[in-house]
Amino acid sequence: MNCRLGVQSQALWLSVVALFSGFLTGCGSNSSGPATSTVVNNTATVTAGFGPNGPSGVIVNGLFTTVTVCQHGSTTCVSIPDVQVDTGSVGLRLLPSALGTVMLTPIAVSGSPLEECIQYGDTSYSWGPMELADVQIAGERAAGIAVQVLGGVTPMVPPSASSPASNGAYCLTNPVNPNLPNGGNEDTLASLGANGILGIGNFVFDCGSGCTSQPLSFTQGYPYYICPNGTCQGVGVPTPDQAENPIAAFGSLDNSGVAITLPVVPPGGSGSVSGTMNFGIGTRSNNNLGNAKVFALDQCGSLPTVTFNNVSYSDTSCTQNGSGLGGYFDTGSNALYVSDAATLASEGIPISDCAQGTAGVNFYCVTGGGTATLSNINLLGYLGVGSGTITLNINDATTLFKTNNAVFNDLGSDSGTSISTDFFDMGMPFFLGKTVFVGIEGQSTPVGISAPNGFVAF
Amino acid sequence: MHCKADLTASGTKNSEGTVVFYFVIRAIAVLLVSILAHSPSWATLGQSEASVTSDQLHMKSKERVQTFQNYKVHELTTGEGSTIREYVSPQGSVFAITWHGRFAPDMNQLLGTYINNFQTATPAQTKIQRRRGITIKTGDFVYTNICHLRLCAGSAYLPKVVPPDVAVEAIQ
Repeated sequence: MNCRLGVQSQALWLSVVALFSGFLTGCGSNSSGPATSTVVNNTATVTAGFGPNGPSGVIVNGLFTTVTVCQHGSTTCVSIPDVQVDTGSVGLRLLPSALGTVMLTPIAVSGSPLEECIQYGDTSYSWGPMELADVQIAGERAAGIAVQVLGGVTPMVPPSASSPASNGAYCLTNPVNPNLPNGGNEDTLASLGANGILGIGNFVFDCGSGCTSQPLSFTQGYPYYICPNGTCQGVGVPTPDQAENPIAAFGSLDNSGVAITLPVVPPGGSGSVSGTMNFGIGTRSNNNLGNAKVFALDQCGSLPTVTFNNVSYSDTSCTQNGSGLGGYFDTGSNALYVSDAATLASEGIPISDCAQGTAGVNFYCVTGGGTATLSNINLLGYLGVGSGTITLNINDATTLFKTNNAVFNDLGSDSGTSISTDFFDMGMPFFLGKTVFVGIEGQSTPVGISAPNGFVAF
Repeated sequence: MHCKADLTASGTKNSEGTVVFYFVIRAIAVLLVSILAHSPSWATLGQSEASVTSDQLHMKSKERVQTFQNYKVHELTTGEGSTIREYVSPQGSVFAITWHGRFAPDMNQLLGTYINNFQTATPAQTKIQRRRGITIKTGDFVYTNICHLRLCAGSAYLPKVVPPDVAVEAIQ
């Protein structure tokens, strides 16, 4: 019997068998009926919570899963738990301590290991070599993709504005906040708060065509370097050497995106909840869009416009030479980063910034306590593909944190400091109690829907 | 001090007999090239309008100036696709800066001495990780910088220097 089944028959067969036996693995499995060699398990368990460092760590509202990483082309593998699932970045990044004795294959450019540096908005950074690995999540496998191993580079600090690489490129544009754990270098469990980051946003590669050319197309914040004899220079690298979205590289049909499903959490939050991450969109009975509404993303991975209380929060920085970022959906954001406290208060919504010295500092508090409701938030997709309204609830962060819980569906914070720089980041709280699909750029989209840069659906 | 031949300059004598030169803005900009070669860290926020030139040179960018009723905006566009705007008060002080592009620009250069405000305001931001970005709101210094996928955007302004008739929403 031919192991390869059509998509629809796969889905039908899987749905029938799933009723009786959970999931299938391998051709000629021990269940009766047609063989199913191409039907791999596409469901990974995800867990929301503090992550491996517990309540004293740096994470709340984190989302974690287990990733198996193998030396490319071998069966030498390690199963790595507590990898943070991040729909707001692209590529797999791993602590060397999580790899144990598994040695990955360094990617060399001009005879030197290729290194990547990314500085994050809080000035922390990742810095380490790009290496080839085979990556498995549930039964899905991405063979020979570039992943980043964090740390272990000489020099220890990546090129910065004050000490650029020999060809002028530098990664650290902002002086690193010395108060950050591990001096801002996210190459330890304490500073990363996870064993790695699984970036599964809407792009295939983290940098893409902007990092393939030599001379470099940009130098400020440039990510890719080689550092022979400890002296770094920025290098252009072909996309296969760049950090790659493992889902896009899956060998199965499930490479178009993901459906993340998380349960409802009760008022006041929860210590931890578990859900599922089903790979593929519309390839199985467990990843069909169903009634979910599709919102196409712009070329920067955002919704072009979010409108709330007659204020438009547009992604003007993408194409209109402005400073807005529109709206996006990000499991790597621990809160709903929406609008700003002064703007919301001026609209009669009882939100303020929690006071310095309180448990909720840097998050939203609610004047008089309780829940503030932001209703009729209008979302508009790229080129008008997808429009609809959502409601977000925001609770008092000081009250929430005093519960010592880790998972909240109503934790909020400022996005910017005025409406011209504000945006709507639908972070982890948004993902609780629903299924959210993230579709990858350039992949097949549902019939009749144009989303060349990928989409979100819920 | 000596002048290059193409500079437009006029000289007068004051009561002490010292020659004082009044250059047009463009001439000052050209002169600064030689000065700035020795002071690359001279930066902008809170400084005079002339300091914008140091940023323009540092960022290797093109400049466009827009004049509004109560402020001026110097817009610096780099060949790398990032844009920096510097907002100047009628008194000639840079009271705000915004940026957007592939990554944040060199903040030591743009924030100048206010990088210290940035550093001292951030310890409380380290307890719970905020990888995407931070906001700082103090009486003297307001800052936000957010990076999402292939784009960073942010702003910094000095609330006490923003002209009273300029709304912060104009800083964009």
